[in-house]
Amino acid sequence: MIPVELNDAAFIVVQLEPAEHEDIKALRDTLRHFAVFDATATTQVRAHAQQAATFLNLILLAAPGDPAVLLTQASEAIDAAIKACEAASINEPRITQTDLIAIAHDPGDADALSADMAAPASANRTRRQTPKRTPTIVAAVTATTVTAIVVHPTAVDGGMVPDDADLSLLGDFIAESRDSMAGAEAALLELEANPEDIEAINTVFRAFHTVKGTAAFMGLDKLADFAHHAESLLSRVRDRELPYTQAVANLSLRSNDVLGEFLEAVETSVQSHEPITLPSDYALLMHDLLNVDAVLAGVETRVAAAPAPSATVADTVAPIAATAAIDAAPRAQPTRAAAKNDSDLSVRVRTDRLDRLIDMVGELVIAQSMIAADPAVAASGQHDLVKKVSQAGKIMRELQDLSMSMRMVPMKSTFQKLTRLVRDVALKAGKVVELVTDGEETELDRNMVDAIADPLVHMVRNAVDHGVEGPEDRMRAGKPRAGRVKLAAFQQGGSVIVELRDDGRGLNRDRILAKALEKGLVSPNHTLTDSEINALIFAPGFSTAETVTDISGRGVGMDVVRRNIESIRGRIDIQSVLGQGTVFQIRLPLTLAVTDGMLVRVAEERYIVPLTSISLSFRPEPDMLSTIPPNGEVVMLRGEVLPVLRLHQMFNIQNAVTNPCEAILMIVGDGEHRVALLVDQLLGQQQVVAKALGDGVGEIPGISGGAILSDGRVGLIIDVARMTSLARTGDARPRALSFAA
Amino acid sequence: MTSTVDRSPTSLGGKYLTFFLAGEEYGVEILRVQEIISMMPVTRVPRTPSYIRGVINLRGKVIPIMDLREKFGMPPATEPEQVMIVVQVAGVQIGVVADKVSEVASIAAADIDPTPDFGAEIHTEFLLGLGKSNGRLRLLLDIERVLSTDEVIAIASLPGLTQSD
Repeated sequence: MIPVELNDAAFIVVQLEPAEHEDIKALRDTLRHFAVFDATATTQVRAHAQQAATFLNLILLAAPGDPAVLLTQASEAIDAAIKACEAASINEPRITQTDLIAIAHDPGDADALSADMAAPASANRTRRQTPKRTPTIVAAVTATTVTAIVVHPTAVDGGMVPDDADLSLLGDFIAESRDSMAGAEAALLELEANPEDIEAINTVFRAFHTVKGTAAFMGLDKLADFAHHAESLLSRVRDRELPYTQAVANLSLRSNDVLGEFLEAVETSVQSHEPITLPSDYALLMHDLLNVDAVLAGVETRVAAAPAPSATVADTVAPIAATAAIDAAPRAQPTRAAAKNDSDLSVRVRTDRLDRLIDMVGELVIAQSMIAADPAVAASGQHDLVKKVSQAGKIMRELQDLSMSMRMVPMKSTFQKLTRLVRDVALKAGKVVELVTDGEETELDRNMVDAIADPLVHMVRNAVDHGVEGPEDRMRAGKPRAGRVKLAAFQQGGSVIVELRDDGRGLNRDRILAKALEKGLVSPNHTLTDSEINALIFAPGFSTAETVTDISGRGVGMDVVRRNIESIRGRIDIQSVLGQGTVFQIRLPLTLAVTDGMLVRVAEERYIVPLTSISLSFRPEPDMLSTIPPNGEVVMLRGEVLPVLRLHQMFNIQNAVTNPCEAILMIVGDGEHRVALLVDQLLGQQQVVAKALGDGVGEIPGISGGAILSDGRVGLIIDVARMTSLARTGDARPRALSFAA
Repeated sequence: MTSTVDRSPTSLGGKYLTFFLAGEEYGVEILRVQEIISMMPVTRVPRTPSYIRGVINLRGKVIPIMDLREKFGMPPATEPEQVMIVVQVAGVQIGVVADKVSEVASIAAADIDPTPDFGAEIHTEFLLGLGKSNGRLRLLLDIERVLSTDEVIAIASLPGLTQSD
């Protein structure tokens, strides 16, 4: 069978003009990709494809020689690749692809650079096709005339799941991808209603991107390739090259479906040990994605099987049905074997149940302390009763510690996945990289481990693909041939730190700044500090990589990285020295569930301020305070001037202490964003379990969540970072109820 | 049976939890009601609309509490309210404050009248209809609409409704 890529390449190359550099580049990349990644093709076929790519590259490099001749040579190389393909699959029924090319080369059609002209001649050939063949026939018909015909053999065989694939990783991948796909579908539907929603496009884009990256890593090249093309389309929408039209929507939704089916097929293949059955829409859609401009231009480039539609449908369906039937029989046994492997000394529990358990234990502890504090017990004078109640309390606190620890898992498995990733990415990128890990046994809340897994994949991939230089460059720079990527996790105070260190080329701040200016992310008359420039790599759509590969370089990723990390109350910092390497440091709270907080009172209300954001608390003297007209207040502390933020004003609380000298100022926030928060009283330190405020309330600026206090009431946790930024912008409007309906 | 409520009248019949609010009796479909809890201290949440009274701890879960009087533009309660009715709408749990609950009433579709039109100022679309049983009139709330709109809804002081009690 002739691979889709070659077919298309043959078709495109004859239409190219030597000056169409963009298209030549695209074709070159397709061919290179094919030559490197298509496992189904023979070495000879790949060599020809590579050769064709080289000819095209020579044109791009403006090498000596006539570009037109080079184009012809590229065309011949593709031709040779197709012939080699045919030779390799001589027993298979095939389409005489050479015919198509011959027509295109026909001197009579020499001026026919567009497919429109070449088509009518080949239309006859299409009609001659017998219904015995499996190929899906893709023809093109407009209202007036037959415009283009491309004939695709449908590759039913999607390749095998690689032998060395880690099945548990694969399972995770499939489950995660399904979630992504579901999210992408929702976003796509959302886009139907609101095509300008860039966030929704980003969601879909990220979903495809993640599938692509992981699929490439798992060795599922066809899937990765497909996701790559689906993603490319959205990338153009995101960069506003293309409007989000109905046609794009259809293509994207179909892509999403095919990815979903593909995942299912992979799963089936794992169980059945049969090759992956490609989704029925795969070839068609792949074609559309490769010829996306033509499809979007409204030219109906294809109509399935003009002469005998019913026959074709049956043909396409039949082999799949057959495969399914074969699958069914041998599946039972391997499944049982797999189940046996899985049996371990652990029990898998759904995290929501675990969370519920922790909630209930928390409630139990509160209920117990309320009993203990009840006058009927505490003041009863019955020592036996008091002793029993306090004994129960001890047990409950132990129970609470135990339930909390159930969520803690070591970083080991996450690091292991990354080890494999480094190996594969380095291999593909032609680099020599050694990965050193440290602190694998560091434990982290399960939710957090999950939340940083994806960001780490992106970051490690970037470190290997962009950070570490190729062996030659490294030698030239006087570094060891092998790049070194170090991944470490350790505890520091109340935080866990995950650090990724590479000794690569470091961030090129000049290039980052140039790119940011080009993308309009910063205004040209601003001067940025080094760390601000470093932080630009977290902006959505930012990428300085010169080539987009299937591994990285699309500028998705780092924005996701930061968002994921911030969503678990973590922080990411970058340090980088040009030519020496980059250090990414992720700082995470020990557990998501428990926050060390200071309980404060403002009039009747109680709030929790996370202990980590408090530097100190004090009662000011009158001479420390000054007013800046019209209504700014500052406090001078050890030579430092800090703005005063009145919590009762921010939250509109009545009857609070208004004279700071009779209340307490808490210095909160970090760095330049420190403020003095005015509260009535400090009630004491408390460990609280942070919870969302419930979907009905939505997000409240300045409040990060709620926690159940020791008396069973809800205390609100103050989001210090948000609060300080609110203070600067002065936005104090009440927010509407946001409903998830 | 000849009722012409636009919202498929036959499906409106069924069980309703009825409760008192400012002297009127209201009903919510029983299937929406998750539980009834007695009044407890509510933590006020800043920067929310006035009809969000705050949040409570419902056995370890934080849920918002809505003040229907505020929502309906009624004056504040003079006597302490007794209950909160926890309803579930579109997967979201929310408590609504009521003066006190009355009963679970079976109201046949035939006994549900369409809401009369009171003109533009009064939003009758938040009512499923008017239920009549045992000589009492109940305002059947479309709780989903009530909870999912951001506005304060004036359904207070519907003229000509109070005399039927």
